[in-house]
Amino acid sequence: MAGINLVKGQKIDLTKGNAGLSNVIVGLGWDPAEPSRGFFGIKKQANIDCDASALLLNENGKLTNKLNLVCFHNKQNANNSVVHSGDNLTGEGDGDDEQIMVNLKQIPADVHKVLVVVNIYDAVNRKQDFGMIKSAYIRIINAAGNAELVKFNLTDNYTGFTALICGELYRHGDEWKFAAIGEAAHAAHINQLAERYI
Amino acid sequence: MAINLSKGQKIDLTKTNPGLSKITVGLGWDTNKYDGGKDFDLDVSVFLTDASGKVAKESNFIFFNNKQNENASVVHTGDNRTGEGDGDDEQVQVDLQNIPADVDKIAFTITIYDAEGRSQNFGQVSRSYVRIVNDANSEELIRFDLGEDFSVETGVVVGELYRNGAEWKFNAIGSGYKDGLAGLTRDYGLQ
Repeated sequence: MAGINLVKGQKIDLTKGNAGLSNVIVGLGWDPAEPSRGFFGIKKQANIDCDASALLLNENGKLTNKLNLVCFHNKQNANNSVVHSGDNLTGEGDGDDEQIMVNLKQIPADVHKVLVVVNIYDAVNRKQDFGMIKSAYIRIINAAGNAELVKFNLTDNYTGFTALICGELYRHGDEWKFAAIGEAAHAAHINQLAERYI
Repeated sequence: MAINLSKGQKIDLTKTNPGLSKITVGLGWDTNKYDGGKDFDLDVSVFLTDASGKVAKESNFIFFNNKQNENASVVHTGDNRTGEGDGDDEQVQVDLQNIPADVDKIAFTITIYDAEGRSQNFGQVSRSYVRIVNDANSEELIRFDLGEDFSVETGVVVGELYRNGAEWKFNAIGSGYKDGLAGLTRDYGLQ
């Protein structure tokens, strides 16, 4: 079954329509925008380092434990239910640049939201922003069988912003749902973004 | 004590509250959970319709540019009533006993101003509700929380007061519109 393409703001049930769903992969992808051509048609390399992170928030939207910021400098939460696969999973054919593995059934009870964000590493020093990125998306894959459940293409103009709030997995009663957010933010470092939720 | 309604529920107002006339309809919401860099401007609009569900004249469409109907029985208090502790973002005052006889329904809607230009929708809005307060004693009579129902919509019909014989009732509607205020004015016969 093909995944459902979401639009910004849309919320969709994950576990209700997929009984038994537990292990999902959150895949994030992006491409550098057309590289500008310098003299003699030599391509300038657009070396933009995007980093995906997950913020595990409580029911009040707060980050209560520093292990609940799952990112390049903390690749998993305390019980390994949310694991960042690191930067080395590129080029595996399906286009995801980074992936976060989530075991929905094992997420600690005090975590109500898994907020997935992408920011540009060292954006300020390198004078980079999301206007230099195109074809960004977030998708959710059922790890059992690798079926793509939902996909959300981030199509807004994010020029001038250094972070993207892509989407969130969240508890709704006994179920898990996904919300396509697609909001831009300013954050020179993932820790600055995380501070908003403390 | 307030009665919490669920979507589609209809409840009597005047029958169970004899003498009830002046009420305040309060609408509230939270926005901008995630900093989108753009302001969020939600507007309450009220449509006074006839028995066929249509607005017969422009003065019966009450919004930020027309804050009351001809006999001032329905008055939009504007954007400046925030922060009064009870959380209402906008309020509409209704005098049920003085509603003109040709008005059968009073529909309350919330739309997002410039939703398309700012790329906003109700997926970014949470904790929306409507409540009805008896002005005589400030008692909250009913409350309807809209919950999770909306995402891509840019307008919502929250609920409507309607005549039922000699009484007024309230219907918790909670239906979304993808084309905002334009879609609402069209469906209420204003275009």
